[in-house]
Amino acid sequence: MITAGLDLGTQSVKAVILKDREVLSRGKAFSGFDPAKTAEQALGEALKAARLSLSDVNHVTATGSGMDLAPNSNSTISMMGADAQAGVYLFPNARTIIDVGAEEARAVKCDEKGIMMDFVVNERCAAGAGAFIEAMARALEMKLEDMGPLSLKAERASSINASCVIFGESDVVTLIHRQESKPEIARAIFDAMADRVSSMVHRLGVNPDVVLLGGVARDVGFVASLKRKLGVDVLIPEYPEYAGALGAALVAAKRVKKV
Amino acid sequence: MNSQSVEKKYMPEISQKEIEELRNTIQATSQKIIAENIEKMKKTDPDRPKAMQYFDEMANFVTREKEIRAAKEKGKKVIGYTCLFAPLELVLASGAIPVRVSSGWYDAAKLGDRVVPVEVCPVVRSTIGAKMIGLSPYLEVSDALISVLTCDGMTKLGEILSDYKPVWPMTLPRVKDSEQSTRLWREEIKAVKGQIEALTGNKVGRKQLKSAIELTQKATKAFRRLQELRKGSPVIMGRDAMLVNQTYMWDNIERWTEKTAALCDELEERARQKNWACPPDTPRVMVTGTPMIWPDNWKLPTLVEEGVPEGVLVADELCSSERLLYDPVGVDEWSMNDMLNAISERYLMASTCPCLTSKDGNEDRINWLLNKIKEWNVQGVIYYVVRGCMLYAMEYTRVKKVLDRLGIPIYYLDTEYTREDVGQMKTRVEAFLEMLTARIDL
Repeated sequence: MITAGLDLGTQSVKAVILKDREVLSRGKAFSGFDPAKTAEQALGEALKAARLSLSDVNHVTATGSGMDLAPNSNSTISMMGADAQAGVYLFPNARTIIDVGAEEARAVKCDEKGIMMDFVVNERCAAGAGAFIEAMARALEMKLEDMGPLSLKAERASSINASCVIFGESDVVTLIHRQESKPEIARAIFDAMADRVSSMVHRLGVNPDVVLLGGVARDVGFVASLKRKLGVDVLIPEYPEYAGALGAALVAAKRVKKV
Repeated sequence: MNSQSVEKKYMPEISQKEIEELRNTIQATSQKIIAENIEKMKKTDPDRPKAMQYFDEMANFVTREKEIRAAKEKGKKVIGYTCLFAPLELVLASGAIPVRVSSGWYDAAKLGDRVVPVEVCPVVRSTIGAKMIGLSPYLEVSDALISVLTCDGMTKLGEILSDYKPVWPMTLPRVKDSEQSTRLWREEIKAVKGQIEALTGNKVGRKQLKSAIELTQKATKAFRRLQELRKGSPVIMGRDAMLVNQTYMWDNIERWTEKTAALCDELEERARQKNWACPPDTPRVMVTGTPMIWPDNWKLPTLVEEGVPEGVLVADELCSSERLLYDPVGVDEWSMNDMLNAISERYLMASTCPCLTSKDGNEDRINWLLNKIKEWNVQGVIYYVVRGCMLYAMEYTRVKKVLDRLGIPIYYLDTEYTREDVGQMKTRVEAFLEMLTARIDL
């Protein structure tokens, strides 16, 4: 049984192909003006890597903010539902799944079957999501991928306001003017963002094991801050940015069985 | 002194030209939204009850405004109110027409930003904006306003509206279960009776008050019958029922009662024929929180009943809908004193508004929510809060704890008076509805 999951996010579309619930391949394409075309590209890439064609796929499930625009999909699942499925598949003891993507952070509470029991989403503001780190990296005139490792070198913690990306940026400028070191400013940025995410998770309840998914999980600086703020270990899979697509593909597998 | 020359204490100067431009634009949008909302309601339930036609007409603002203006020409007075604590029976007994003036127009909230900060509750900002440009027919026709000091926003709204017309503030005691509160509120009720009599020139006597109470008792009976019908498999979509409930805020109450009873007759027949408004296994949802006022603020109910997988609103705990008249005025002896005490008790004790507290917090609201969940067989609760609505936001913590303990899914949905966040809201509402079905589906 071959199934596919598509995650149509705000910055990119990810695809995962499964054979009997085992990952065969992944594909990714950056979102342009035509989400349907991007989705086709991502799925095409994954199919090519698996040496399959679309007709070999039994069921395609789409998720993500653009899920209704996905071509060739047989069904959809909410992002939170996909997170819960992927989290428990990757880490069977996972009960709290956090997903931090480009524009949104969310947390899902689930049971041992990966069924969502409750969820929270960050409040209509990018300050708790990846776009915040990107804006701050620009303010610091450095590459996004360098900011995480640099922040780990900070000797003490400064603080900035992360209620808003714009205010956060002006706080960063204040720190630069105060001649704080770059590692400390970088750490302040991750701490502020982790504060937002962790208070959101606390509203849901922190039930171990805690899993972090989404592209931002690759950022060592954010992960270190989040672990400090939550006070528990945070598990991260090898391909965190593909978790949504993986969850969708797992749902597709269940839906094939039902048909 | 000429009233024209009196400087406004709160409201900004705005040219007649701008007023007219804004009013025309917003009115046109409003009529479009009304038509769209009703169209969507018909799409959800193509075989909508015939009796809904009347309520659709009452929802267009135009028909009822004409009627009220005609009554005013014949000397009738109109008394507006912002919150549900205003004693309607006294208004009715004086021969005046009661209308609720809280505003549901999104675009008017943006105008309110010229007067108060954007952090203020949008219901309040929108009502201020509506007044700025004369948008709300019911606010415009009101000769005076009863402003019960409930939440902070409503308290100050009364002050701001006093730039235009007489506003009668009523002090609401906030601890429900105390002797002092009962005494104070009874005094407030008597005082507002005096003001109503002075405005209308009609004395509220025993006979008039008795028939006014009997009138709202009958309305309550029809209202309860409608809500009872929603306990079983859905005979009516939630939006339709909400619209019926909401028109009570401005309709002629006697006629509203007849039309609601006629709707119930039709629904009972449909139940006998098992003619359901949607598949009986559709997830049953209840909403609670900030009032949802027609026509703009209809987005959440629309999302719930339109989404995939679709849900059905079987109950709500909103002061714009089911909280309006569940409780009748309970009179033992029909003496003046007894009737006034009964009115006083009905408006204070029966309210579950979070502006109130008691020895055990707002336990009445918790108990009422639990009762609804059980009786109406609710599978999930959406807790709806608009930004700036502190009291509902703060009461969520306790409600959530109680429902979590019982294993009833509840989701906190925050929003604004805006159309732009419908996409984000849709994602959340769909995820919540999916959660209600996932236990079976996955």
